[in-house]
Amino acid sequence: MSTEIILGLMMLLLLFAALINGTVGIYLPKRLIAILACSVVFAAFGLSLLLFFNFEAAEKITLFTILKIRETSINASFYLDALSIWMTMIITGVGALIHLFSTAYITEKEDYYKFFTYLNLFVFSMLLLVLGSNYFMLFFGWEGVGICSFLLIGFNYSDPETGFANSMAARKAFIMNRIGDVGLLVALFLLINQFGTLEYTDIYKIVSAKDFTVSATFITSLTLTLFFAATGKSAQIPLLTWLPDAMAGPTPVSALIHAATMVTAGIFLIIRSNYLFELAPLTKDIIVYIGLLTSLYGAFSALRQNDIKKVLAYSTVSQLGLMFVALGTGAYTVALFHVTTHAFFKALLFLCAGSVIHALHHEQDIRNMGGLKKYLKITHITFLVGTLAISGFPLMSGFFSKDEILASAWSYNPVVFALLIAVITMTSIYMFRLYFLVFHGTVKIDKDTQHHLKENPISMTLPLMLLAILSVFGGIINLPGLIFHGSAHWFDKYLTKGTEGLSAIHPHHPEASFTWALMIAASALTIGILLWAYNTYARQMKTALPDAELKGWQKISASKLYLDEIYNFVFVIPIDRLATYSYKSFEVGILIRSLRVFPKVFGFMGNVVAKLQQGFLSSYIFWMLIGLICFIGYSIIILQFWN
Amino acid sequence: MELIYIPLILGLLSFLIPASLVRHYGLIGSLALLGIVIAHAATFDPATTHYVLNPNKVFPLGLTFKMGYDGLGLLMLLLTNITLPLILLSNYNRDLARNNVFHALVFFMLFGLNGIFLSLDGMLFYVFWELTLVPILLILFLYGDKNNNPVLFRFFLFTFAGSLAMLMSFFALGRLAGSFDYEALLAVELSPQIATLVMVGFLLAFAVKIPLFPLHSWQPGTYTSSPMAGTMLLSAIMLKMALFGMIKWMIPLCVEVKELTVWTIMILSVIGIVYGAIVAIRQNDIKVLFAYASLSHLGIITAGISVFNVESLFGVSVQMLNHSLLSVGMFLVADILEQRLKSKNLSDMGGIAKLAPSFGFWFAVITLASVSVPFTAGFIGEFIIIYEVFNFDISMGLLSASTLVFGAVFMLRAFQISMFGFPKIDSFKDLTINELAVFLLLGAMILLLGLFPQLLKDFMEPCLNNIVNSINAKPE
Repeated sequence: MSTEIILGLMMLLLLFAALINGTVGIYLPKRLIAILACSVVFAAFGLSLLLFFNFEAAEKITLFTILKIRETSINASFYLDALSIWMTMIITGVGALIHLFSTAYITEKEDYYKFFTYLNLFVFSMLLLVLGSNYFMLFFGWEGVGICSFLLIGFNYSDPETGFANSMAARKAFIMNRIGDVGLLVALFLLINQFGTLEYTDIYKIVSAKDFTVSATFITSLTLTLFFAATGKSAQIPLLTWLPDAMAGPTPVSALIHAATMVTAGIFLIIRSNYLFELAPLTKDIIVYIGLLTSLYGAFSALRQNDIKKVLAYSTVSQLGLMFVALGTGAYTVALFHVTTHAFFKALLFLCAGSVIHALHHEQDIRNMGGLKKYLKITHITFLVGTLAISGFPLMSGFFSKDEILASAWSYNPVVFALLIAVITMTSIYMFRLYFLVFHGTVKIDKDTQHHLKENPISMTLPLMLLAILSVFGGIINLPGLIFHGSAHWFDKYLTKGTEGLSAIHPHHPEASFTWALMIAASALTIGILLWAYNTYARQMKTALPDAELKGWQKISASKLYLDEIYNFVFVIPIDRLATYSYKSFEVGILIRSLRVFPKVFGFMGNVVAKLQQGFLSSYIFWMLIGLICFIGYSIIILQFWN
Repeated sequence: MELIYIPLILGLLSFLIPASLVRHYGLIGSLALLGIVIAHAATFDPATTHYVLNPNKVFPLGLTFKMGYDGLGLLMLLLTNITLPLILLSNYNRDLARNNVFHALVFFMLFGLNGIFLSLDGMLFYVFWELTLVPILLILFLYGDKNNNPVLFRFFLFTFAGSLAMLMSFFALGRLAGSFDYEALLAVELSPQIATLVMVGFLLAFAVKIPLFPLHSWQPGTYTSSPMAGTMLLSAIMLKMALFGMIKWMIPLCVEVKELTVWTIMILSVIGIVYGAIVAIRQNDIKVLFAYASLSHLGIITAGISVFNVESLFGVSVQMLNHSLLSVGMFLVADILEQRLKSKNLSDMGGIAKLAPSFGFWFAVITLASVSVPFTAGFIGEFIIIYEVFNFDISMGLLSASTLVFGAVFMLRAFQISMFGFPKIDSFKDLTINELAVFLLLGAMILLLGLFPQLLKDFMEPCLNNIVNSINAKPE
């Protein structure tokens, strides 16, 4: 099969399933909906594997021209290179497993068809985002995933208790993303003005030409607007508070959209534009520090969250921050490596959380859990695997990707490196705390629930097991060059060879002694924290305190540094006030009141106005018609008789 | 010529049709008109002006009776005649469906509207402009709220005062040119003082109709007290004639003060974009909310007009079509809510998507289209216009880009409060066939325009080139 057919088939299948489920799904049995929705994503994954194994050189497939603005053609076209194919595999692969998981997770009949329609549409939009051949197509997908995310966060909008909060979370996510989109829009304008095209390959050609020069101001503002857009989708400072709230969506959605795929769109955007960012050292520095701050913020806030999903959400914020640090230091392949491993273990952790929540009938507070390892055996093991992977336990996938980020930070700036160590320490602390509080310690659920508590069906546990395997072995794709010289850095090579711009950037591999030292130190750190957490939570049975008893840093962590409150105070309330005030004072007070005075001035005297008001219409229309008849009569006469 | 007299005949014939059949008659009549416009479009060479009436001499009082259309005029005719069947179809199961007078008035109005878009003579333009006011006033007066007299009076005074100002402008221009022929008016060289006065005259007439900030205050009251079809006619069709007037008449005729004109419109538009959106955030009456939304959306269009180059005018064309279609959709949504709940207040709504899934879906489509998501016409239109405004002036561009954010705030709020949440009522009748048909047609057209805007661009470009060149050719 040619690549056109494979690609076309992939997109059309997803669209087709969404269309069928979206229109007639309401009349179809649940099983059929599930089979349709899952099979197309699995098929898409199969097709993406085909693309991967047949990949030789980057290829562009143009469908039609959407619009020409002056000399700039904006095309509906696709672009296959190492980066887009890799992203496609992650999206469809993890997506397929999460689709499978959802078939058992979503139970309500009336929600079923809608959920899978949105989920398929999401995969479609996400593929549009990564596979488009220009920034305009990226924008299409970018907004498309935003809408799907909106629909899925607010999925349980009619719940009597949480419905309102869910809707608010959905709206918040959409609006914050939209603020980022303004950045992307402006970036598009700047790109058109400077390069006269939005095609990646054309821009790269211009940028990589020998005699290419560009003003520093321009390239810095361009890259900053692109980065601003990325902060919206990838939940970085300042546009990050929507992501924790997005946990209002069903858990598989959190796993797919708000952990594994959509939130990495910003990272994808920057890797895609790497040759632009390489020209803007100032922007790269800003990215490092924003990423670092976000990472610290996320990790610190995760320390004292008690909602199982919130811990994972802040963890995601923090991990995304790490990826941005890697981007800022110019280690683009490392960032994508961590995107990949993170997709595995974070999807796994979220699905495990979903499995727990499902088994406990929508209990999310870890203070009400404990001792679940007896009941949910598979979930327990896989969650442990995920925890070890994210904490960077030796030889797990997260171990390798995180070490590479640390190494690139070390060569960038030792202070950044030191702060990243703090992030990684906190990561291990909150993850082990979460693991031990949920699966160890005393059982806190009531007898009745205990009685019914059992492991979830295979359609839920199978994705967990597969993701657990990937979380363990995912690091193999990019081993450091210490022992395995031949197969080392396979992923770096793959991505560098097949992606424009990356080959010009020479990844900085640290000396072997440093790598050894780093690996040993990181392992020791993780194992030390594991032992400490085991001692604290499993042996001494320390439990999470109620919010009211928290003091000092714990209170600040639990309230996420009051960022939501600050945003409310600085943005939401003033705009709300402005809206009320401008309506009441300006609109009603001045404009509408002057409207009432206006006729009076017009009529000079009160009774004239009264008369006018009563009779104006009939008299106006009467005179108007008289005038019109005169005009028509006049017209006919002169048209006929004038010579 | 048939575009002028057929609506008139259709209007007169409406009185003879049995009341029970008049809705079918109206729909078929409007579709026939659409057919005629399409036939014109099919044989039209976009680079030229097609005259339907051209006596080629100057009659007493400077009249020339020239009528015809270029690409822009044809687009406006298409827009009007596509929107009208949709309005009548929305109206199919409303009170006015069996009303002869209403249908007659609609056709009379169309007579005026087609006249406006065909006029190539200033005085004809003015006469038709005034003529459209009679039927709409009667529709609002006869079928609107019982006690809306003061509101109507204000609406009338505003528009009438604006029209008079425009008449003065035409008198001034006609006197200098010796006739009211469009070409002759275009050729007149004005002193900056006169040009400013003429421009202000036009601006008053158009700014009231569109409406531009701060002359919009007649709008919310008029919208809320009008029957659905009246609101749709006002919003989807009537205000387009003012936009057309700006592009075709105001800016080319007052090119001597182009800078002033352009900046005046630009600044008022951008204020309107931001102000309309901010005021809309806290509205609870859904029709008032849509009125302010309209103020904001139209700000984008007029900002695009003020840039006045081929690209921005194309964006304006897309956005005008989009706005007409969306207005029908939005006010149909508002009317469905109002009819079935007996309330326009958002606080009385909630959970309707559960009770009426089809309506919920289509309201979602309208909401997303109005926040200009990809695949909709609004995305293309806004993209081009904001790009052109951005190049015109960066700060204006950034301010108008705020519509991406604020537009989403108020539309999603209205959508979520009414459709989401726990149902407050027991039942809500889902869409009827005719309502569904309207939404389907709207959705299809918005999607088509969102995916293949280049088709429209190929059609519009020669004509927009002519318009832009006509003002560039003239020394400032």
